[in-house]
Amino acid sequence: MLKILIPTFMLFPTIWLVPGKWLWTATTAHSLVVASASLSWFKWCSETGWVAPNLYLALDPLSFPLAVLACWLVPLMIIASQNHVAHEPLTRQRTYISLLVSLQVFLILAFSAMDILTFYVMFEATLIPTLIIITRWGSQTERLSAGTYFMFYTLLGSLPLLVALLYLLNDTGTLSMHTLQYIQMTNPDTLGTMLWWVACLLAFLVKMPLYGVHLWLPKAHVEAPVAGSMVLAAVLLKLGGYGMMRMMVVLGPLTKEMAYPFIILALWGIIMTGSICLRQTDLKSLIAYSSVSHMGLVASGILIQTPWGFTGAIILMVAHGLASSALFCLANTSYERTHSRTMLLTRGLQMILPLMAAWWFLANLANLALPPLPNLMGELMIIVSVFNWSSWTILLTGLGTLITASYSLHLFLTTQRGPTPQHFISMDPSHTREHLLMALHLIPLLLLVLKPELMWGWCF
Amino acid sequence: MANYREAPLASRPKTLDPAEYFNLSLDKRRSVEEKATLRAQLKRQYQMQLNNPLRKELIEDPALTRWVYARTNPFNNFRPTKKTSLLGGLFGVLPLFVLYFVLKTDRVCTSKARLAKYRHTSSWV
Repeated sequence: MLKILIPTFMLFPTIWLVPGKWLWTATTAHSLVVASASLSWFKWCSETGWVAPNLYLALDPLSFPLAVLACWLVPLMIIASQNHVAHEPLTRQRTYISLLVSLQVFLILAFSAMDILTFYVMFEATLIPTLIIITRWGSQTERLSAGTYFMFYTLLGSLPLLVALLYLLNDTGTLSMHTLQYIQMTNPDTLGTMLWWVACLLAFLVKMPLYGVHLWLPKAHVEAPVAGSMVLAAVLLKLGGYGMMRMMVVLGPLTKEMAYPFIILALWGIIMTGSICLRQTDLKSLIAYSSVSHMGLVASGILIQTPWGFTGAIILMVAHGLASSALFCLANTSYERTHSRTMLLTRGLQMILPLMAAWWFLANLANLALPPLPNLMGELMIIVSVFNWSSWTILLTGLGTLITASYSLHLFLTTQRGPTPQHFISMDPSHTREHLLMALHLIPLLLLVLKPELMWGWCF
Repeated sequence: MANYREAPLASRPKTLDPAEYFNLSLDKRRSVEEKATLRAQLKRQYQMQLNNPLRKELIEDPALTRWVYARTNPFNNFRPTKKTSLLGGLFGVLPLFVLYFVLKTDRVCTSKARLAKYRHTSSWV
């Protein structure tokens, strides 16, 4: 663990002390080395449930795929932001990369936290760099309202969580995940306990996001610069799912009764947000709503508390992180050339940028859960486990799969096929950097097809 | 305005046709002339931007900007009418209750059936 954390902390001196000419090369190389070192976490060499370097940080099969994803994403974010930040003064560039690296630090600490309060502090801490990235480096004036929505929606959920955690600490005497698995819930039928149950989960449901409280996500994703969108879609949403899976341990038998409204919101949200996707005119907004749709599936998989549900949730989280981040990078390549996110204005790009069309095709296939990609593995496991929970849900999840396929196809056909607009005068060819970025997103996804045991969680 | 000249991109509006010109009132004539002037100026501005060899960026279309802004901020233009309330209730509120009813009944029935099955089989042991 320390062999990843200390080099990550050392990224800060790298960023600030490297001469300006070598800034991007050095930070990309350093973060790639850290990401490759984090792959050592895949070797599960412990007989116990946790790989624990010390009392406060440990990894288990749930957290290390997400921690590896967090580490993997930072070099990708740095590669993706190179173009639009390159024209700014050097100090500002260093600040930008420092914000991205601080996100990585907070995320690794969050995923490996053994104490739920540590996890909570890191969960909140990730909000601040993201807010700064969105409001300072976004491109439109709407970024201010996007930042406001992002902060206040998440805080609305997480302040009750703090109260609930402090109550649990007072009641149990510890918040360490090692011991919390053995506690019993004391009064499952009182209103107070029910409110405590909601307070525990609300923050993570807002973060996932659940359908009813998802309004912050399209705004934040659209207004953020590409690195902000990538990290939001790939990892920060998964913090919500991870938090829910950890909290389920203490939430006891009450979940069987109280989870119904949230499962229903999640399932109905798949269909509603999928349908909204079909009507979107803004490219990034479409990808953002598709994130909500996939996360609705994850939320329903977690809330039914079965082994297959949890496994499907983890797989879908990791696979969706890579696929969604890839789509945001592609949207950014289009945006940097045409300076417009309107889909009608960025049509027919296959004629102009045919190699990028190949990446668009792959990323869209990943998004619509094509076999044998892990997106399908996750979706199938969740759909089957939710079907076991209640047979009627197959109508919702099946329709949701259909709608997912149709909006992914719509996205691909609108951006790539069709008539090319006449108003493009100068369009850069696809940079090698962009091809590298897409390759680094999709190759792990393809490799995970061959060995999905790496991210199956506890159930292999 | 009898000497209104046609240009390649500024066609003659119908009301300024000399054959019909003298049927119009003075006010109508003036308003049509003003509109034709504005239209010609806009066209000229667009043509200047379009054919500028040093231009690298998109020509900004204010109508498109307004349309995109309206698509991204639907709440500002939202007003609860009968139709919107009906649609919102039908697709946003009613399905939640219907689904709760359906799923809860299905779960309760299947769990009762499973319990009954186990009770039945265990009686033969």
